[in-house]
Amino acid sequence: MYVSDVGASAILLALLFAIYTAVAAVLGTWRRNEALVVSARRATLAVAAFLVLASAALAASFLLHDFGVSYVAQHSSLSMPWYYVTAAFYGGQEGSLLYWALTLALFSALFVLTSRRAPRALVPYVLATLMVIETFFLLMLATVSSPFVRLAHPPADGVGLNPLLMDPGMLLHPPLLLMGYMSFSLPFAFAVAAMITGRLDSEWLRALRRWMLAAWTIQSAGLLMGAWWAYHVLGWGGYWGWDPVENAALLPWLTATAFLHSTMVQERRGMLKVWNLALVIASFALSIFGTFEVRSGIISSVHSFAYSAIGSYFLAFLALVIVFSLSLFLFRLPRLRAEQEFDSVVSREGIFLVNNLLLVGIAFATLWGTLFPLISAAVRHEEMSVGAPFYNQVTGPLFLLLLLAMGIGPLLAWRRTSLQALRRNVGPPALLAALCAAVLPLLGVPSLWANVAFSVCSFTGCAILYELWRGVRVRHRHGEPYLRALLMLFARYRRRYGGYLVHLGLLILAIGVVGSHFFQQQRDATLKPGQQVSIAGYQLLYLGNIENFYPEKDVVMAQFQIWQHGQLLRYIYPGRQIYHNFSDQPASMISITTYGLTDLYVFLEDWQGAAQATVHIYVNPLTVLVWLGGLVMILGGVVCWWPESPARSRFSRLAPPLATVKGKGVELPGRSFTQMAPTRPALEASSDKERQAVASVQPERVATPLLPDSSDPASEREKEASQ
Amino acid sequence: MKRLPRQVLASAAALLLVAVIALVWWLVYLSHPRAATLDQRVAEVASQLRCPVCQGESVQDSPSELAQQMRAVIRQQLQEGRSEQQVIQYFVDRYGETILWNPPRQGFSLLVWLIPPLTLLGGAMLIGFVLHEWRQRRPAQPDPARTEIGPAPVDLVPDEELERYRAELEAELAADDPLFEPLSRPRGSR
Repeated sequence: MYVSDVGASAILLALLFAIYTAVAAVLGTWRRNEALVVSARRATLAVAAFLVLASAALAASFLLHDFGVSYVAQHSSLSMPWYYVTAAFYGGQEGSLLYWALTLALFSALFVLTSRRAPRALVPYVLATLMVIETFFLLMLATVSSPFVRLAHPPADGVGLNPLLMDPGMLLHPPLLLMGYMSFSLPFAFAVAAMITGRLDSEWLRALRRWMLAAWTIQSAGLLMGAWWAYHVLGWGGYWGWDPVENAALLPWLTATAFLHSTMVQERRGMLKVWNLALVIASFALSIFGTFEVRSGIISSVHSFAYSAIGSYFLAFLALVIVFSLSLFLFRLPRLRAEQEFDSVVSREGIFLVNNLLLVGIAFATLWGTLFPLISAAVRHEEMSVGAPFYNQVTGPLFLLLLLAMGIGPLLAWRRTSLQALRRNVGPPALLAALCAAVLPLLGVPSLWANVAFSVCSFTGCAILYELWRGVRVRHRHGEPYLRALLMLFARYRRRYGGYLVHLGLLILAIGVVGSHFFQQQRDATLKPGQQVSIAGYQLLYLGNIENFYPEKDVVMAQFQIWQHGQLLRYIYPGRQIYHNFSDQPASMISITTYGLTDLYVFLEDWQGAAQATVHIYVNPLTVLVWLGGLVMILGGVVCWWPESPARSRFSRLAPPLATVKGKGVELPGRSFTQMAPTRPALEASSDKERQAVASVQPERVATPLLPDSSDPASEREKEASQ
Repeated sequence: MKRLPRQVLASAAALLLVAVIALVWWLVYLSHPRAATLDQRVAEVASQLRCPVCQGESVQDSPSELAQQMRAVIRQQLQEGRSEQQVIQYFVDRYGETILWNPPRQGFSLLVWLIPPLTLLGGAMLIGFVLHEWRQRRPAQPDPARTEIGPAPVDLVPDEELERYRAELEAELAADDPLFEPLSRPRGSR
């Protein structure tokens, strides 16, 4: 009896329980058998428990170096440090599938534990959907892709991990990204449940939105870590290469971003229900597509480390998902027609539509470029390549427009904005952008596109900060000091200001991307000791190579001095490690030195003995901002997601039922209130009415707690807590 | 009534500013015909070519032997005075069009360039059409676009505007937070 046998049995048991959950949940609902539904909830917990057991068994097999397990023998070796041995868990296909299944089970368990007060009618269907997805993965794990297959003749030592994966980034990047892919299952399950039951109310939307936000944040973190890994390991001086696998990870992120914006339109105005459902379904389908693409090796990529025939199963599953959800979608379409009512394109919902169009447009262009090689191979029997230059040209301008929309959006009001108010709000940012555009060329930014991009960034940045400042000012007038007012904004209005934080992060990231894309400098040099290269004001003096020999690897490092203005700044040691198991793939040890916002990136390409080195030197300005901006984005995502403290309940921002506030709503051309009945008689935007509007602020606020949605703060709070 | 001329003046100044900026850009952009070093030119050419023996890497990024040789060829040809385009054509002749990361804008692969913008355009038209329909469903109400374009009220004093904005923001914040305590009355504006 080996540890791995425990794991294999645990997977089988988890599979049985997953099937049971799906069946019991649906049957229990149909027959109104509460006990059956309760048992399904418990069975979900059992699935999670068994998957934890299976994963523990795999981890134990790795740590015990049980090379009798084929997967362990192929992905680890005795000489690897324990943390890489543990990380080898998801270094191959079987392990990463197990990890996928594990995280899905854990999230499902989390859902069960927190769903006591979630919309009752939905829970069984959510569980059933999750467990059907889980069943697919467990079937894979139990049959064609088992991590616990034993070898008849265990080798004395394992093969070891691909050297490209032996990197600290590897400890975080794959688990985050796989978890990100997985976490789109929960919104999808909510969508399916809502389509089956026909309940697409505000409660449902709120639960869905929170899970989507979690998925978005995790996926952002995964993408960021992936970029960081590529930057530190691949050695081409960049972090994003529009590689098919990278694209696949970006696609669900884009559609999820679109959803998180358009869902606000649904919340406030009750529009776009159909569209939001489509985005949720698309996100999940794209995440399965991403997993399929990574695993099938159907499109060649730097990031694929495991190829197998398992791709066809994923394709079948993907087809099943699409057919099932599409038919459900079409079946429900008649009931999704909400009262659509649109006032003006110059409004918050208008800019959200633009945002959605751009995001989905970028997603489509990326998907199209990724798939085009396959299409051309099928049609013309010639596999065209589509690479970074294509994506930069096609999606670059769209991203720029998106940034611009990001700046304009918060300045617009719901329903409609008078051009006058727009001009007033847009004025200061536009002025700054113009100033920026005028000054930057003089500071030596010769590229037209870089100039446009920086100007747009300054516009958006100013707009966001202006908005923050106005919020702070309002609170300050209530007697709060400025700093406290700022903190309270983030504490109180998490969604709104967390969103601004995300925008700010994206902006910083965009500046980093523009800087490193347009202003990267590069030199290649083959040097003898004593020779030096100059780049961007730095002199790199080559001294010689240092070689070290270890039992499992040889390490060669080139020694350089960095000089600037006649001063020695420091020594650097770019190098390569040659693992004996993978002697044809020398892993790189890239030297990245950061001076201010500029990275000096030195990659040792080749070497001869102790006295010759060929290096690629890159100067990457502003790349630091990519990581900084990414961190701010993730922080913003967490702020948005963070549950509000139970002492405060959230009142409905949802479009309230007509009757309750009819006639009480007021409208301002510059900004509008959030609580507006969809079919309130429109007021003319004359100054008289505006003054009235100010005067009627008070009644509106008094009316707020009387809305039916928020009539019982306690129950509201509990619902909130349960999500 | 003082406001109107100032606004006109401001927008005129803004227009002038934009014109100046455009001019400066244009001059700067034209006067810098990309004084690229040989290394940068090599990198530019190499990053447009797919490394034939790698998994999805360009000639520029790949550490493989073949890519190194190809970079050497590019360097040599550029040194001999050929243009970037000629060097790329040299590789296309030998390896076929599949070596290009940038699919050629002709024949079948024109599709890869055309479809995304067309889809975007189609999406925009669809949205426009749907919005048009939605707006027509409420014919009883006045066309908001017209009221916006109509003569702007000129009797607004900046103070009042500020006050109004404050009230709006307060209301939005209050909608999110029942414990938010608004000022009892706008100060001084009325």
